[in-house]
Amino acid sequence: MPIHESDVCVIGGGITAAMVIERLASLKPGLRITVVEAGRSIFDRENRGTYHRRALEYGEHPWHDDYIEDQQAKGMISMTMAVGGQALHWGGACNRFSEEDLRLKSLYGLADDWAIDWPELEKFYVQAEHRLNVAGDPSPYPEDRRSGPYRQPAMPLSYNLQVLKKWAEQSGLKFSPLPMARNITGPFDGRGACGLYDTCGDVCPTGARYSPDYTYQQLIAAKKVTLHDRMLVRKLVLSEGRDTIAAAHGYHQERPNEVMEYRARLFVLASGQCWSPHLLLLSANARFPNGIANRSGAVGRYMAGHKFISAQATIDDETFPGQNMTHSLISREYFRCATNTPFVRHDTRVWESSAGKEPRLRSAEGRLLLGDELLDEWRSRALKGSSVRLRTYYDSHPSADSRLTLDPASKNRYGDPMPKIDHQLDVAATAREGATLAHCTGVFERMVKASNGRLIGKPSVSTYWDHPAGGCRMGTDPASSVVDSYGRTHDHENLFVIGAPTLPTGGCTNGTLTFVALSLRSADRMSELM
Amino acid sequence: MKRRALLKLLISSAASLPLLRVTLRAQQLTADDVFVLRDVAGTVLPSSIGRKGQDEAVDNFLRWITDYKENVALSHGYGDPRLVKSGPTPAPGYARQIAGLQQAAQSRGGRFGALPPEVRRELLDAAFKAADLRNLPGRPDGKHVVADLMAHYFRSSGANDLCYNSRIGRNTYRAIRVTTVRPAPLSR
Repeated sequence: MPIHESDVCVIGGGITAAMVIERLASLKPGLRITVVEAGRSIFDRENRGTYHRRALEYGEHPWHDDYIEDQQAKGMISMTMAVGGQALHWGGACNRFSEEDLRLKSLYGLADDWAIDWPELEKFYVQAEHRLNVAGDPSPYPEDRRSGPYRQPAMPLSYNLQVLKKWAEQSGLKFSPLPMARNITGPFDGRGACGLYDTCGDVCPTGARYSPDYTYQQLIAAKKVTLHDRMLVRKLVLSEGRDTIAAAHGYHQERPNEVMEYRARLFVLASGQCWSPHLLLLSANARFPNGIANRSGAVGRYMAGHKFISAQATIDDETFPGQNMTHSLISREYFRCATNTPFVRHDTRVWESSAGKEPRLRSAEGRLLLGDELLDEWRSRALKGSSVRLRTYYDSHPSADSRLTLDPASKNRYGDPMPKIDHQLDVAATAREGATLAHCTGVFERMVKASNGRLIGKPSVSTYWDHPAGGCRMGTDPASSVVDSYGRTHDHENLFVIGAPTLPTGGCTNGTLTFVALSLRSADRMSELM
Repeated sequence: MKRRALLKLLISSAASLPLLRVTLRAQQLTADDVFVLRDVAGTVLPSSIGRKGQDEAVDNFLRWITDYKENVALSHGYGDPRLVKSGPTPAPGYARQIAGLQQAAQSRGGRFGALPPEVRRELLDAAFKAADLRNLPGRPDGKHVVADLMAHYFRSSGANDLCYNSRIGRNTYRAIRVTTVRPAPLSR
């Protein structure tokens, strides 16, 4: 078997890996870093205008072949497996968690505390925001204090969002623009300025929305990293007689007979909340029969994330759908919860919407509408008030049985069992589901009171957990956690797991910025060890 | 005979347009089909965009047909992702649907666009019901060529602007500052 040696071997090429590699390379110039990614590189940025157009016109996926058909997990929210990972097509939302997320146990007697203090994490939030060039305004809530400013002011509110902010704030909640990783004020770091194509979550034609493929190309061009794409790591191998990791075995996706042994002083598992625990479980051996890094039995447990409640409303105020549908308002009012009231934590988001205001083929009476009649009927609905999209991500604590397991019924081409994720709330979170829905419905109802609003139908609870995390949770006790606060595994001194898998709980707002902040902190720790 | 001669003249003059030439070369819609489509457009697209705007809408739809790619992965979705690929080109089906519509129009007295409005509606209603079309597709899906032409136009950024009589420019390149004010009305 051919051997590829480096100082650091990073397994998985998503956003957290990009951040760790960039940071490590700056802290330790000359370090030989290899990143091994199962998916392919999609570095054809010159075609993204075309992909954008075709996604809109044909519904085509703008990231061609960014998946591996036989490498899919049940319960996973995205098929993407490529250099850049799921952040190739994220929306760029960069909202912070809050201090309460890290102290759930000590404040509320719920779930677990994180093994890291807020001031420490906050420093890395600032760093993450700078690296991603986040555009944001300081939160109107004083508890959300910051130790450093954003690099750019928030994305300006569209006329529609200005109208909706005025409307939403009549409820007493304070709203601000959602911080976004978009180049608002001009080009930055090799990426173009925002042209408001409004397709951030699919593909950004100018590169204004941060995308890790840019970082990888820069790192490769500067010879700061060696990229081996299309190489699926199927196994981590222990050193003889020691608990350190000696090697990772990678198999080429197009040339199955091509197997590479990756040797390194340090291994960084950066494959996200699904494939990181999966590889650890898959690498079980005689000394670690339950999987690598799994003496605690916690690998693949406490699969986290957050559920969400969605609603649509109509109000009398006039808006013009299509101005900036991917931008939103956020209120952090309910990030805090008094300790003497029933527990509920959530963000509150507001978007412009065209729901119920799309062109229709038939009138309410079923008459076929053609030409001018269709336009007139459309106008009669569209010009009457506005639709508003509302959503809350709420704090949803996982039980130990919220699990990723190896599914013997689903195997890849090598015969490896694929992951199966089954999210489960813990007992307390299950018990408060009804109250959480009632609370969020109450918040929406309070909001729609202004401007003669009303909710359309009942708010609905999500069928999946967004921003999934967990599976290798951090903790100070090796008996109940997989990694320490830096992502270093308790069982193997030269193995780190970074980003999403390390979160004990999934918070109540978008997770990517937190994954990145934790990973940057991991990188600092790694550099001290190298 | 006179009608046929007129049709040929119209087709030959229309075929001199560069876009139509490309369309005829690349796809299975004939010049006759395109003529019918342009004729139908006068009924199913708004009159306020004028004959020129309706022709442009047909041209854009023909370009959509020409550029259609088969067996391409569609958006996987998020939350409950699935691998779905685009189907075969809808062009042959479109040709059959146009022929069917033309035949139905002939049986009611002649060219589609020359029939009384309620007869035109009746013909399309029957065709859409036969195609199990209940609403305007999100984007053309091959169920019926006329509904797809309508969807292609009415779901467009331009139609959205027309509906609101405002320069919104959904999903087009815009300076951010343009969106921070109430959109300007469309010029007349």
